[in-house]
Parts: sequence; structure tokens; C-alpha cells
Amino acid sequence: MSTGTETEPEAELAEPGSETNEAALESLLGERAIARDDHLNAPGFVINPNDVQDVLSDLRDEAGYDHLSCVTAQQYEDRYESIYHMKKFADPTDEVSIVVPTTVDDPVSQSAEPVFRTADWHEREAYDLVGVEYEDHPDLRRILLPETWQGHPLSKDYDQEKPQLVTLTEHQNPIQPDHHDAESDTMFLNIGPHHPATHGVLHVKTVLDGETVADVEPDIGYLHRCEEQMCEQGTYRHQIMPYPDRWDYVSAGLLNEWAYARVIEDLADIEVPEYAQIIRTMGAELCRIASHMLALGTFALDVYGEFTATFMYTFRDREVIQDILEDLTGQRMMFNYFRVGGVAWDLPEPREEFFEQTREFLNELPAKVGEYNDLITGNEIFQTRCIDTGVLEPEVAKDYGCTGPVARGSGVDYDLRRDDPYGYYEQLDWDVITRDGADNYARVLCRMEEVEESAKIIEQCLDLLEDWPEDERDVQANVPRTLKPDAGTEIYRAVEGAKGELGIYIRSDGSDKPGRFKIRSPCFSNLQALEEMSEGEYIPDLIASLGSLDIVLGEVDR
Amino acid sequence: MSGATATPSLFPLQNGGDPVLLPEHITELTGLDQFGLAGELLATFVAAFIVGNFILAMTGVAGPWAKRKITASFTDRIAVNHLGPGGIGIIIADAVRLLAKENIIPENVDRPAYDLAPIVIAGSAMLGFAVIPMGSGIHLADPEVGLAFVFAVAGIASIGLVMAGYASGNKYSLLGGLRAVAQNVAYEIPLVVTGMSVVLFAGSLQMSTIVDAQQQTLFTIPGLEWAVPAWFALVNPFAFVLFLIANFAEVGRNPFDMPEAPAELIAGYQTEYSSVYFVLVYLGEFLHIFLGGAIIATIFLGGPAGPGPDELGILWFTLKIWGVFFLTQWLRSAVPRVRIDQLIEIGWKGLLVLSFANLGLTAAIVGVIA
Repeated sequence: MSTGTETEPEAELAEPGSETNEAALESLLGERAIARDDHLNAPGFVINPNDVQDVLSDLRDEAGYDHLSCVTAQQYEDRYESIYHMKKFADPTDEVSIVVPTTVDDPVSQSAEPVFRTADWHEREAYDLVGVEYEDHPDLRRILLPETWQGHPLSKDYDQEKPQLVTLTEHQNPIQPDHHDAESDTMFLNIGPHHPATHGVLHVKTVLDGETVADVEPDIGYLHRCEEQMCEQGTYRHQIMPYPDRWDYVSAGLLNEWAYARVIEDLADIEVPEYAQIIRTMGAELCRIASHMLALGTFALDVYGEFTATFMYTFRDREVIQDILEDLTGQRMMFNYFRVGGVAWDLPEPREEFFEQTREFLNELPAKVGEYNDLITGNEIFQTRCIDTGVLEPEVAKDYGCTGPVARGSGVDYDLRRDDPYGYYEQLDWDVITRDGADNYARVLCRMEEVEESAKIIEQCLDLLEDWPEDERDVQANVPRTLKPDAGTEIYRAVEGAKGELGIYIRSDGSDKPGRFKIRSPCFSNLQALEEMSEGEYIPDLIASLGSLDIVLGEVDR
Repeated sequence: MSGATATPSLFPLQNGGDPVLLPEHITELTGLDQFGLAGELLATFVAAFIVGNFILAMTGVAGPWAKRKITASFTDRIAVNHLGPGGIGIIIADAVRLLAKENIIPENVDRPAYDLAPIVIAGSAMLGFAVIPMGSGIHLADPEVGLAFVFAVAGIASIGLVMAGYASGNKYSLLGGLRAVAQNVAYEIPLVVTGMSVVLFAGSLQMSTIVDAQQQTLFTIPGLEWAVPAWFALVNPFAFVLFLIANFAEVGRNPFDMPEAPAELIAGYQTEYSSVYFVLVYLGEFLHIFLGGAIIATIFLGGPAGPGPDELGILWFTLKIWGVFFLTQWLRSAVPRVRIDQLIEIGWKGLLVLSFANLGLTAAIVGVIA
């Protein structure tokens, strides 16, 4: 596994996005770059389908682009295109897009899986939904749709009217009779799709050797709701914003909405009023606390058992945040509070009451966090269960494109709020939490400390909001009634969601709806690492590791 | 025993003194003794009926309701409160609900093992109560090997668990059944060995003797005139703690609730059981918790002993059992579960060694005193 980060290439390549950087990239790619296809966020290079592995490994090893953030596939009239969005963990503003066109007749492209393991699932999704085929891919099957699905729903020639029958007999039966493999003496076990510990409808195909996990394969797609396609059918201005709430639907709503807000505001060049940014920052961090509380509570369920008091404690505290958010947005879960260019409305009146309520929560938080430390992280049995289980080495985490608390728990210092600043984060005083343990325990601690950091951010936002002059409280920018970005403009933008890097790629086709809308879900990438984390460990560790990944299936399947 | 008297009796251990056991009381009160053996048999059935119903009322009726309320107060909730005072009427609703449900029996279960398992699980625990002296004259039988009998019948439950696990034809059930057996084997030995240290003190396996041995005064608190009884929990706290821990593993409750660990194995060996069968399995679990509590109360907490007249014995005894039950629920709310390999390790490498050390030490002390 090569690293290449933080070494000389950094020095060689000057400021990200600058002329010298692009020149250096051009010389690195040399003949292999057959054209330029720049995106708003990054220089783009078109390469041949046969050079994918070569180019990507060069970019990683020579230029330090060690984070394959996302793979977007799409079909044009005359070609298919796979876009590899690459970043640096050390500096996510330094991006490059590698565009791989293939013909419509023979959409075969080299797989990036041998270079970045995260490409495995991303390319399977591209194959499933768009229809690009990847050579060298170890396991090119459908990932979101059933095995027997006909056609690729996001391709041009797909007939949406045609009914699809997915019969149980044709579809691979999840209740397989082959309990027992006589030769290796192992047992196949389906964990899920209905199981108390899968946090939703996740199906984990497991091969057990006694109680030891010999092989794990997560099977996703049970909650696939065509979110990308629905967004492609909505107008930029109003119709897309309600959808992000439904990706990571357990209280991370505002964080998701920000992902869309950020990408569309960059695409349409909209300047958001500072006051609105502060409200956004505060709301987003409230969501983060609520989301981490839920993560902590459900993790406790997995480790303690279903009668644990901890779960109810975290829900008690999350409930306070839900009340605050309800006052702010008018909704408990599906907030739909952000607007393109700002937020829907100002803080609720009377403002003093809102400030008082929120401050009261912040004042009580340290005592509650102390309580969790007494109850959970200080418990010796909990420690024997969590320390050194579900180990995810930092290099492996990077290889799988893990982000968020999962990566930070492995010591990968990567947080888009600081590294690729947006909103009001840059002006506030807070820290990025990292932990070196790389195990289940480190991830739990990481989330708990992030809760405290978020509280710090909210506190500062409250101070700012309270002192803000009354006549300057602009919550919305002037945004045209219809947004029609120039045809062919492409952009990939990400924010730090509750679970990690939540990115959106949009290609505009000149109309008021996106030509392609691609969601990069952090849970999707994080979940891939489960295999690495749990093989060779016991079933209880597999369950704990799954819990510590803190996946939400709505975001995995979209 | 029977040679001295002409008529054979079902109560051969009681040699002519005052009646001690419940069947004897009943025989005397109802005058059934004139019917000889048949009368005694009938009296025994009546007595068993009374004891059985008392136990079932505690475990099957009050237990689940109490468990809801106890867990709720630990987890910051209210729990049932609509039907009757404190929601106690939910017991009736629960009973109707559980009994009225369809009993779904999966296609590939291994009958009749599948049907027998719930009865074995529940019945084995019921048997154990036969030799427990509950005070106020409620004591069904008092064989010389009382303590060994309790451990023996409680151990039968393991067979029921593995039957349920295997016969269900479900992989989760199988894993749960295997875990249950591994766990019970690992913890039965420390449990029995620790129990034996009590026998060394009491000098007998007979339950009544063990209870009597705890009636002496350990020491008197000077100035207050409080006589602290020689309960074995006070005489040998080390053994008490060991026994308590082994007992939690034996009944499968946190931190040792491996066999059913819902987050991992859905419900372990009881996954495929529904309706009445489920009630029986669930009841069996409760019975085992209460039997564990009864054993602890009898051999460590002085049985029915307590302040006030002897007639209050049953009250004190019930309180002690509920104390142990409360403790299991407390642990359930507060303590994580260990992993199966850690559990086995604690059992074989920790508790087993400690329990033998305890036994050796007790033997030495008893030897020196005697």
C-alpha cells in the first residue's frame, strides 16, 4: 500500500488550482491526458479507458492524490463517461477530476479497484445504474438493484414505463439452504435484512467458522429510492432541497441540506449573507450532536443489549435538540429549512427564549457527557469489548475512502469544515478531533469529543447571533426565480456531514434541472470497510464494528 | 425407616415429631391421613399445587410486570400505566395477547424435540422449588440431598436449551443453544463448587439444615444489642460474590446474556418460538432467575429468616428472591455484555480457580474450627 502523502510532491506542486499545479499535473500525465475537461472545482483531464489504473496510481503515488472521493458515471448522446473525483487527505481543496469516456456501443473501461479499493462499490453502482462496464473489476455485479433487473435506469435508452418483475424464484434467494460447507467446515449465515443490529435494512452475508467471522459481504440496496434521479427531475431553485433530508434521515437533515446548498451556490455563484451562514452553522452543529447521540445510543444497544439504560439517556438528550430544531425549522426530522442562498426564515420569536433554551442545553451538556463517560467509556467490560476490536488502520481507511469520525478515529486528520472551509466555521474557534486507536473504542470517543466541539461552535454562533444588529439580519440572498447554469458546467462539492464527506456532483445541461445529480454518501464508502474490520473476529465484534461505523441505510442506498 | 412403623408413609424422613413440611400440615389439617398412602399422596398433590401456583404467580404474573416497571425506572421511562393502578392490569392483557396468538411452527423443525424443549426449560426450574424451604411452613420436601437435587434439576435446563436450539432448524437458534450449553457447562462447576463450601459449614446437603445453621448469631453489635445472624453471605462474602456471578451466567443475564444476545443472535434459541411455546420458554427463563434467587436466599441469606415471628418467613423469603431479581434487572440496564470467548475465559480461568480456592480455604477453616 503506497502512501505518498505529505511528501515531496506537495512541495513540487504549488498552490492548489494554480497554473503551476496544473502544469505539473499535465507533465505528470503527459501523453495519457488526451484532452482537458475542467470542472468548476477542479482541473479535469480526459484519459483513455485503458490508462485508468496507470493514471490513478501515478496521481496517488507521485502527486499525492490519495483520496478517491467519488466515482460518477453518466451517459451522453455519443458516449459514456466515468469521472474519478480525486482529492488529497492532507488538503481536500486540491482536487483533480479524471474523465474516462467510453463509446456507447462498447462501454468498457478499466477498473480502478486495484488502485483504490473504494472504487469497488462505486464502480458497481456505476455499472448498476448507468451501465458502464469495468474490466479487471473483481466482482462486477449489481449493487443497489436486484440481480434480475433489466436495463440500467440512468442510461438514455432505459424504458421507465416497462414494468419490472422481480420474482422471488429468479432473484437469488437470501434464505439459502447451504448451511454447511463440508470441506472448510464453515457455516453461511444471513445477518439481516431484518435483524436487530443492522440499523435498518442491511443484509450482511456472513460465513462463520464456529463463532469466528470468516467472510463478510454487505448486501445493500433495500432502501434505494432513486434519490439521484428524483433530484434530476426537480428544479434547482426549490424542488431539490427537500430531498437531502431523506438521505441521512436520523436527525442529520440540516447537514445534508447544506451539501446541496453548497454545491448549488457555488454552481450559480450565489453569495450567502453572513447572518444566514451563522444560523446554518449553528443548525448544522445541532444536527451533528443529535446524530452523534443517536450513534452512541445505538452502539450501546449493540454492546449492552436491548435493555440498556444508555440508549434512553441518549434519546432523552437528543430530544432536547429535536425541540430546539423544531422551534428553529418548524419540523422535527425533515427540516427543509435551508434555501438556495440562505435559510427559510430567521430565528423564532421571541429570540430571547430561543437563546435561553439553547444555552440551557449547552450548559447541561458537559454534565451529560460526563455521565456517558461514567456509564459507557469508563466501564471496564465495555473497554474489553471495544478496545482492539474492529481495527481499521489509517492506510486502509484511506484506501476505502473512509471519512468522518470513522477516519478520524483511525487518526486520519480530515475534516472538511476546517480543510475546505464553508459556512462560518473558519471564523470560529474549535478543534478537529482525531484518535489513534483505530478501533471501536476510538470511534466512540471521537464522536463524544466531537459533540463537545460542536457545542463550542454553537455557543459562539449564539453569541454572534445575539449581538447581530437588527437591521442587518438578512437570511436570504437575492436569488433569481429560475436557476439555469450554463450548459456543460460540472462541479463536485462536499461538506462534512454527520458521518463524513457528503458530496454532490452536478452537471448542468442548460435547463433549470440538473443533467446529472450524483450523491457521494459517506456511509456508502465507510460501510465497505466492514469486511476489513471484522474478518477473523467474533460475531459480537462484527456487530460492534457495524455499530461503530454508524451507518444510516437511507444514505447508503439513497 | 419404614421398618419401625407398620404403615408405609410418603414422609419417611419425619420421624414422628411435629409436622414440618406442607404436605404433612395438609394431611393433619384435613384428616387425610386416615386414608393412608392415598391420602398422603393427595395431600402432596395439593401441597405441590399450592407451591407451584405461588411460584407461578410470582414469576409468570408479577415478574414480567415488575420487570417492565423496574427497567423503565432505570431507563428514564414510565412503562405501563394505563390499565389499573401502576398499569398492573396489563398482566391480564398480556396473558390474553400471548395466549391468543397463533402458534407458528416452522416447517423444518425437529418434532417432538421442538415441542418438548419449552416444557423441559420451564419444568426443570419448577422442580427445583420442591426442596426450597420458603418459611411459614411452606416446604414441599426435604430430602437429605436437597442442595444437590436443586443443582441437578436446574442443570436439566441446559438440555432444554440445546433441544430448542437444535430442533428449531434455525442457525441463530443453533448458535444460541450452543452458547447456552458452553456457558452452562463453564459456570455450573464454579456454581456447585461454591455451593459446596456452604455445605462444608452446614455439614449437610439438606436444605432445612442449611437454613438452621444460619440461625446462629455471628456476632452482636456492641451497644445496640443487634444480633447479626450467621448468614453464609456474611460468614463467607467471597463465596457469596462468586456464587452470585456464576448464577448470573447460569440464568443468562447481563453481563452474561450470551445465549439470546438479541443484537447478535436475534433471540438465540427462542427465535422460532411463538405464542404458548414462547410463553413457556420465557416463563422458564423467569423461573430460573427466581430459582437462582431462591437458592441464593436459602444458602446465603438465611432462607426465610428475618425479624418478627416465624409466620412472616414467607414474606422475608419472597423479599430476598425479589432482591436478587431486582439485581438482575439492574445489571441488565447498566452493564455491557461480554463476548462469548471472554465469557468462557472468565468461567474456566477465573471463576473455576477461585471457586476451588474458596472451597479449599473453607475446608481448611472448617477443619481448624472443628
